[in-house]
Amino acid sequence: MENKTQYWKGTEELNREPEFVQLSKNEFAEGLPLEEVLSESDLNLSSNRRDFLKYFGFSVSAVALAACNKAPVKNVIPYVVQPEEITPGIPNYYASTYKNTPVVVKTREGRPIKLEGNTKSTVTHGGLDAAGQASVVTLYDSKRLPLPMKNGERSKWAVIDKEIKAKLAEVNAKGAAIRVVSGPVSGPATQSIINDFKAAYPTTKHVVYEGISYDGIYSANEMCFGKAVIPTYRFGNADVVVSFGADFLGTWLNTLQYTREYTTKRVPTKENPVMSRHIQFEGNMSLTGTNADYRFPLRPSQEGQALMSLYNALAKGLGLTQLATPTKLEVAGNGVEESAKVLLNAKGKSLVISGSNDPYIQSLVNQINLMLGNYGQTIDLDNYYLQRGGEVSFPEFVKEAGSLGAVVFLNTNPVFDTAAGEQLKTALAKISLTVSTAYYADETASVCQYVAPNSHFLESWNLTEVSRGKYSFTQPTISPVFETRQAEESLAIWSNNAAITNNTFNYYDYIRSYAKANIFNQSGATNFDAWWNESLHNGVFDLPVLTAQVPSNNVLASDLVSKINTKVGTNDLILYTKVGMGDGSDGNNPWLHEVPDPVSKVTWDNYLAVSKYDADAMGIEQGSIVSITKGSATVENVPVLVQPGQARGSFAIALGYGRTHGVKETIGINMYPFVGMENGTATYTIADVTITKMDGEYELAQTQTHHSIEGRDIVREASLAEFTHDAGAANDDKLHNQREEDGKLFNLWKEFDYKGHKWGLAIDMNACTGCSACVVACSLENNVPVVGRDEVRRRREMHWIRIDRYYAFRTENNAYVTKEDDYDEMADHQNVKAVHQPMMCQHCESAPCETVCPVLATTHSSDGLNQMTYNRCIGTKYCANNCPYKVRRFNWFRYNDNDKFNYYMNNDLGKMVINPDVTVRTRGVMEKCSMCVQRIQAGKLNAKLEGRKIKDGDITPACAQTCPAGAIVFGDMNDETSRISKEFANERAYQVLEELNVKPSVRYMTKIRNVEVTKETTAQH
Amino acid sequence: MSYESPIREPLVTGGKTAGDVTADICRPLEGKTTKLWWLGFGLAVICLCILVYTLAISSFRGLGMWGINKTVGWAWDITNFVFWVGIGHAGTLISAILLLFRQKWRMSINRSAEAMTIFAVMCAAIFPLFHMGRVWIGPIWALPLPNALGSLWVNFNSPLLWDVFAISTYFSVSLLFWYLGMIPDLATIRDRATTPIRKFMYRFFSMGWNGSARTWARYEVVSLILAGISTPLVLSVHTIVSMDFATSVIPGWHTTIFPPYFVAGAIFSGFGMVLTLLIIARKVLKLESYITIGHLDAMCRVILLTGSMVGLAYITEFFIAWYSGVEYERYAFLNRMAGPYWWAYWSMMTCNVISPQLFWVKSWRRNPNFIFFMSIIVNIGMWFERFVIIVTSLHRDYLPSSWVMYSPTPTEIGIFIGTFGLFFTFFFLFARFLPVINMAEVKSILPHKPHADSHEEVHTPQ
Repeated sequence: MENKTQYWKGTEELNREPEFVQLSKNEFAEGLPLEEVLSESDLNLSSNRRDFLKYFGFSVSAVALAACNKAPVKNVIPYVVQPEEITPGIPNYYASTYKNTPVVVKTREGRPIKLEGNTKSTVTHGGLDAAGQASVVTLYDSKRLPLPMKNGERSKWAVIDKEIKAKLAEVNAKGAAIRVVSGPVSGPATQSIINDFKAAYPTTKHVVYEGISYDGIYSANEMCFGKAVIPTYRFGNADVVVSFGADFLGTWLNTLQYTREYTTKRVPTKENPVMSRHIQFEGNMSLTGTNADYRFPLRPSQEGQALMSLYNALAKGLGLTQLATPTKLEVAGNGVEESAKVLLNAKGKSLVISGSNDPYIQSLVNQINLMLGNYGQTIDLDNYYLQRGGEVSFPEFVKEAGSLGAVVFLNTNPVFDTAAGEQLKTALAKISLTVSTAYYADETASVCQYVAPNSHFLESWNLTEVSRGKYSFTQPTISPVFETRQAEESLAIWSNNAAITNNTFNYYDYIRSYAKANIFNQSGATNFDAWWNESLHNGVFDLPVLTAQVPSNNVLASDLVSKINTKVGTNDLILYTKVGMGDGSDGNNPWLHEVPDPVSKVTWDNYLAVSKYDADAMGIEQGSIVSITKGSATVENVPVLVQPGQARGSFAIALGYGRTHGVKETIGINMYPFVGMENGTATYTIADVTITKMDGEYELAQTQTHHSIEGRDIVREASLAEFTHDAGAANDDKLHNQREEDGKLFNLWKEFDYKGHKWGLAIDMNACTGCSACVVACSLENNVPVVGRDEVRRRREMHWIRIDRYYAFRTENNAYVTKEDDYDEMADHQNVKAVHQPMMCQHCESAPCETVCPVLATTHSSDGLNQMTYNRCIGTKYCANNCPYKVRRFNWFRYNDNDKFNYYMNNDLGKMVINPDVTVRTRGVMEKCSMCVQRIQAGKLNAKLEGRKIKDGDITPACAQTCPAGAIVFGDMNDETSRISKEFANERAYQVLEELNVKPSVRYMTKIRNVEVTKETTAQH
Repeated sequence: MSYESPIREPLVTGGKTAGDVTADICRPLEGKTTKLWWLGFGLAVICLCILVYTLAISSFRGLGMWGINKTVGWAWDITNFVFWVGIGHAGTLISAILLLFRQKWRMSINRSAEAMTIFAVMCAAIFPLFHMGRVWIGPIWALPLPNALGSLWVNFNSPLLWDVFAISTYFSVSLLFWYLGMIPDLATIRDRATTPIRKFMYRFFSMGWNGSARTWARYEVVSLILAGISTPLVLSVHTIVSMDFATSVIPGWHTTIFPPYFVAGAIFSGFGMVLTLLIIARKVLKLESYITIGHLDAMCRVILLTGSMVGLAYITEFFIAWYSGVEYERYAFLNRMAGPYWWAYWSMMTCNVISPQLFWVKSWRRNPNFIFFMSIIVNIGMWFERFVIIVTSLHRDYLPSSWVMYSPTPTEIGIFIGTFGLFFTFFFLFARFLPVINMAEVKSILPHKPHADSHEEVHTPQ
């Protein structure tokens, strides 16, 4: 029903007033303020709808354009013609040679990114050392010379070739002498090229020298046997090794071969509990010294005495005539006696070697080895290692330098690496033609008129005789990055070689014909091309081995007595080379600086190693600086390192530092001016140096500053006798109460069932020598940044694997002293043992890092790896705090594209070495060893593509692959037949910090030392 | 009005009336800004600028600007974090727990203490934020927000995540409690406001409080509820912070005593800071009648209690480390006492163990100058405690090869000084614009005016 009640708005409606009636007809009773809106003067609005659209549209397009402008232009250049073998993403491997080591080069998209040892080599058996691993970086070095230089300015090849040839012809016509100065030439084709040059310019003579000279051995072998060679030392046949200062595992001669063979005798097994006995006499603690069973500190000036004592002790035991020595000789405690005893029990199966460069000391060593019947067994002069080359000695060259007509420095830098460097520099200014084929504008090249820069070995063809009859091929793996030219080609062009066409010389053809004429013909193969291809593929080729003979001896030991120095003065200075830096020729390679010295753990510097006794006496300590003077040679601001095991009265400092030219910055101190000269051979042990304390301090950048194991059960050791008795001797189980029946520790948590693979690592501390090749290999494989000295000082180096080196100090009565306060109080630290323990992420099954990451950036994979997801990490660092092994590394800064870290990751050229399979981490994220997960994935993928299961040995992480001693084994724990399962089942296997029950996937083999167990107080490990 | 037994010290001295209360407490915020205030505020702002600068360096250049390294991953950053969070606990205890225990003496100090808590938690929150390597994304990923990646959740096992929940809860509840409690007082100020800005601001923030009986009743209920929620926070927040260390495997961290030990320590340091602030505030703002010596005495007793608990915890830790026979644990403690950071350890021991025991002496705990000095000592000691726990445990842990030393860089020191700037900037603003004492509550505890025919008014020394 309709509601009849009507309510009115107001009296106006009730009365129906006319206004109201009028207004009620409008839609809006109050009317619209049209006038306000339409009159412009009243417009307070800054924009209306149209304007809004205008502004909006403009803004959008402006922003879009601005954004477009900011986007970097990146060119993607497709292959126009795809090279046959290159599939982007799939690496190609080529064999090559680094110095004297056969290597295999991994290339990606046409550029080499990683080196490995060549497993087919019968010399190195696949090992590659730290310097070898680092050498790939120098290919992409921004300091390398891209073009030939003339008088310090960039030039062209055509120009300098013409001028050099003209000058050479001129000099030759005048009859002035020409010298080609090179290092030892182990490439027969290279030697052949030099011979061709000599033929073209008959006044040429070849000068061969090395910054680190082994002339002593050459001369001794020449004197004794008429063979100026360095023999092959067969450590694999030696049950006893006595070394007088020869760092054969670190820097002395063919370390890769020695390491591999030496290790075969250092790992006792339950079935065969034997080990070689290694005795080391040395002044400076060397890498080899840290591995010795017995080490006797011996000053270099006492070495002659010691050897004569040893000779007499052996002669006595063998019933031969003893030497009439000038004075009663008593050095090195009972070391000589002990050595003689074991040597006499191992005739024909021992090695006595010396690191001295004195030919008479080396001759005496030869006599000792003859007595022991080692020639033909452990010393092979017939299958020698190196043969002496050259016609003019370096000292002669320096003397005559001022009167020479022309000099070509073939890949050598004598202005830097000889004591006569400065003298030579002034003389060079007087020579009418000086040429260098240096790779960098180094100290010598900077004073030469012409620099014809050599290509990198990775850009070159070559042939190397790594040991007599064993050849290794070098193939280019990238076309030359710049306009450099191989030194051999340069020489050939300058000698107007007949095979030159269009001013280019094809060295490849030259090598081929050389190989055909000299190697192939002895090989027994019939088809040259097939032989050539196979040899290139394998990278190595061995001619049949000669039978090692006992040589005839031309020297009487008694004649040597008067020639060997027995005077012991004050302050012997030992000049040695570091495992990383070597002679300093690669001084611009940041990895050689960043890799910690295996003994001192110092990076980015050289330093004077001093014994604690002498340091206290001189009032210096670690952090002090001193000056060193000998004759006219003097250096200042030398940092001091107090070295446990340093012989009293001896000091040591590394050569190879202090480069000034061809490097980004001068690092360390150049000690080459101190190298002495005696009877025409260089001497690296300098007597009677003056060392004075200076004011000031210098903090060395060490990656490890605490050197004692504090009595902790982290490294387990036993003697060989104990091991023979019980293979698990070092593993006396303190946790047996907490073990369940299956041997595992009592566990609160539920176990995870690893159904597929379960990856693990086994590390044998008997095999590991501490050489640190694994550190560099891992870093290059995983794009680990170089951080520089300052960051290392702040304890922020980025190495994913490190080698912990612990000293065990002992008192005079052989009691172990492990606590810091106790050994700080000892007067001297001469009686010290060392151990190397590689430490990387242990991939714990109950990882303490995984539980604490707030964002789950670190997790555990189903095949046993602890994963690190860089993209998820927010950088709280709790995982690093909670890691008991302290293996995690944080990116404190951005290490790439950052001028504060101006290493190879800061320029486009250097970045070419980066492994594309591994993320380059940004600032603020955590990283750590991944067990080379990229290699694991590649191996799995490969097996899948081939439709088969993974075999043991398919996958090898970088550290295991490069280890020259084979100390690291990787494999699948779930595969009972794998090598690692056998290693883990070994009684020597243990887990570090097992009591934490984090269940690491890495196990270590206890260290067994071949020592007599004397009256010792209970050794705390 | 409330009845207090004559043998107790009066909670408000000087025969104040309700009108006096309003006048006294509103005077500092209604008058002209004093020179002293400008001086303090200015200094605080300068330090705040240092904070902004140092945080910017750390975020833009990288955490490498700090002194931490591969072994010591946390140092000053987390020390300062725990320091500030600990300080905050006093406020919550005073506001919440003492409310539940009906301790009326809390009424004149709870507003300032709660303000201190909020500002302290703000300072604390800076550290977990900026110690992250990737500050620009970390705070977001640390939150359990459902997403399109699966969802990709956070790690609920991680104590750092529990910290996220704890600190955010703590901050939000404290802020809420503090603010709601302030509404009646803001209304009082609103009603007295003269300038338009003040009228607007205080009207806005007092949310239309009309002072009716119904509103007051709701106010009381809300206070009780929030007190109930805040109470567990006093214990839980610092327990969770202590779990950052207790759940790890590192010797010196891996110990179950941390939760109660940290909570006691937090209350200890918090009361220290409250005393530092209030002893100055009561003098400068002339509020001695409200924050009486009796209040200071009570707070000192809390310090004595919690300080003794902390001292007991130190001894227990040390004993258990020895008794356990675990060589790493034993070494951790020997290293603290006699290793390279012995000076930090012994600072901690003297400041924390010896100093609170001095409060057994009644005259000393009623002497504001002495108490002020001791409160600073307490906080220095507590800072060193966290430093010792964090740095000495980390710098020498299981494998001696990784043993390092740590020292702070100017950036880290600057951040710490800067947080004091942040704290005091806010505190000065608080003192200038907000009532530092809860007027409404204090009016409820004013002593009776004695009737002409009733008992004598009890006098107590001031």
